[in-house]
Amino acid sequence: MLHIYRRLWQVNWAEQWQYRANLLMYLLYWLVSPVVYLAVWTTIANAKGSVNGLTANDFITYYMALLIVDQLTSDITIHVLAYKIQDGTLSGELLKPIHPILTNTLVNNLAFKALTFMVLIPIWLVLYLLFHPDYSMVTLSSILTAIPAIALGFGINFLLGAALTCLAFWTTRVYSLSEFYFALASLFSGQFVPLQLMPPAIQRIADFLPFKFYIYFPVQIILGRVPPEKLVENFALGMAWLAVAYVLFRWIWREGLKRFSAVGA
Amino acid sequence: MPPETRFADAISVENLSKTYKVAEREGGFAAAVRSFVRRRYREVHAVQQVNFSIAQGEIVGFLGPNGAGKTTTLKMLSGLLHPSAGQAKVLGFTPWELKSEYLQVMTLVMGQRNRLSWDIPAADSFLLNQAIYRISDEEYRQTFKELDELLELSPLMKKPVRNLSLGERMKCELAAGLLHRPKVLFLDEPTIGLDITAQARIRNFLLEYNRRTGATILLTSHYMADVTALCERILMIHHGQLKYDGGIRNLSNKIAPYKLIGVALGEARECDLSCYGPLVQTDHSNGKQYIQVKADEVNAVTALILQDLPVRDLTIEDPPIENVIERAFQE
Repeated sequence: MLHIYRRLWQVNWAEQWQYRANLLMYLLYWLVSPVVYLAVWTTIANAKGSVNGLTANDFITYYMALLIVDQLTSDITIHVLAYKIQDGTLSGELLKPIHPILTNTLVNNLAFKALTFMVLIPIWLVLYLLFHPDYSMVTLSSILTAIPAIALGFGINFLLGAALTCLAFWTTRVYSLSEFYFALASLFSGQFVPLQLMPPAIQRIADFLPFKFYIYFPVQIILGRVPPEKLVENFALGMAWLAVAYVLFRWIWREGLKRFSAVGA
Repeated sequence: MPPETRFADAISVENLSKTYKVAEREGGFAAAVRSFVRRRYREVHAVQQVNFSIAQGEIVGFLGPNGAGKTTTLKMLSGLLHPSAGQAKVLGFTPWELKSEYLQVMTLVMGQRNRLSWDIPAADSFLLNQAIYRISDEEYRQTFKELDELLELSPLMKKPVRNLSLGERMKCELAAGLLHRPKVLFLDEPTIGLDITAQARIRNFLLEYNRRTGATILLTSHYMADVTALCERILMIHHGQLKYDGGIRNLSNKIAPYKLIGVALGEARECDLSCYGPLVQTDHSNGKQYIQVKADEVNAVTALILQDLPVRDLTIEDPPIENVIERAFQE
């Protein structure tokens, strides 16, 4: 199986490399909103001294960490799979003795991440020089703890994204659904606003939803703001969401295949 | 025990049916609004109660006009589509369960579809297939050598697939679909768009592959040359129903028991041949006119023509299989 993943990596890496210009445009587009939030919140915090107790440095460190975490947990399944279901090109992958999503689409995601990361790092360093974040609270152990949290976030995001994409078996309008999903995710993941600034009611909802694992939870771990008892509780909740996402995906996939019409071929 | 050992037939199909539900509406804005509120559906019976079985090692041609249900049947047999009703077993597997043991021993090659990634050389896709199908290096080398001998792949392997010609790409597609030495091959228009030489090459290759591996092949094609060269037996499907299942030679006897007599007259004289039999076509390049004559009257009619007319050239031919089939579908 490892051999299969290695070959898939080679192929997907080579393919992504072909579209590097495309990828750069995507990355620049994606960078706009966090950088804008970063600039806006920092300006406000600077003007007022702090926002609900968060200083300018809190916002800078939050959004600078977010840039990395968001990229690592992001999922592009909708873009690489939905059209294959709609135009029938999924057929070729379906007839191979491996699960197309849990192998090819997964590796495709990872190859995409690896490539965007190569471009993100220099941009991140430039931002670092511009904003001078004070990262003195970050420790080796907080980074090491964040790694499984990021993996968990990506796992949930990938499986939910795959489940959502599989709705393309029923509807050709799956992109509007995914827009809605992204809006929800941006709100409840901590992308617009760090979640601790949200109204308490929304914070409580966000606390049970899977979206915080995409950004807020790992970022808070990196910044050393999650107490140990919360850490365990949240990892448990994350694992539960991972299981739910997996079951949901397998179910939608199985039912969807029954409806697959393998258009064209 | 692998399931296939219990089955003498490689493929068996029982009452296989597929009905598509298709949303339909008239053109225009008002109709678009109406269909948004209440959609009307029409049922399309693409395949209806089809029964047949194919023994291991057979090469069978699957014929029918566009929209007859050939591709839908192939898609069900390969596992891409769930049928609306009926059963099918291929090597003992139910195809649409998509068991990996099944996918490991079958292949579906579609002439109109690309399976190879366009952006990378075929060699990389081949190596990926080697990994996916768990083919050992030794086995891979051996299989590739054989495929290379038959299809001359080596010069094509390093170019990105998008830079290959149609014929070159088709060769690579076929080879990629056969690296794992499938025991059952479903081929949908494997020679479409290829020139005569490339078509012949693919045909020879399939015969040779069948001879060497004993694989079962079910293929569709619009080129009768493919079918006549490869298949002893054909299945004919029309409007989703199986119309004929049997030997390709019997088909002409059964459906069109007649021959064509082609006559070219000396000095390019115009002459009415229709008194000998219905005139079916004229070949202007050699001035030959063809009449259709019942098989058991051929001798008598030929003798008459030779006696009556200044004949420069005369041939007796089987009706082209295209015509036979066209005729079958008209009935």
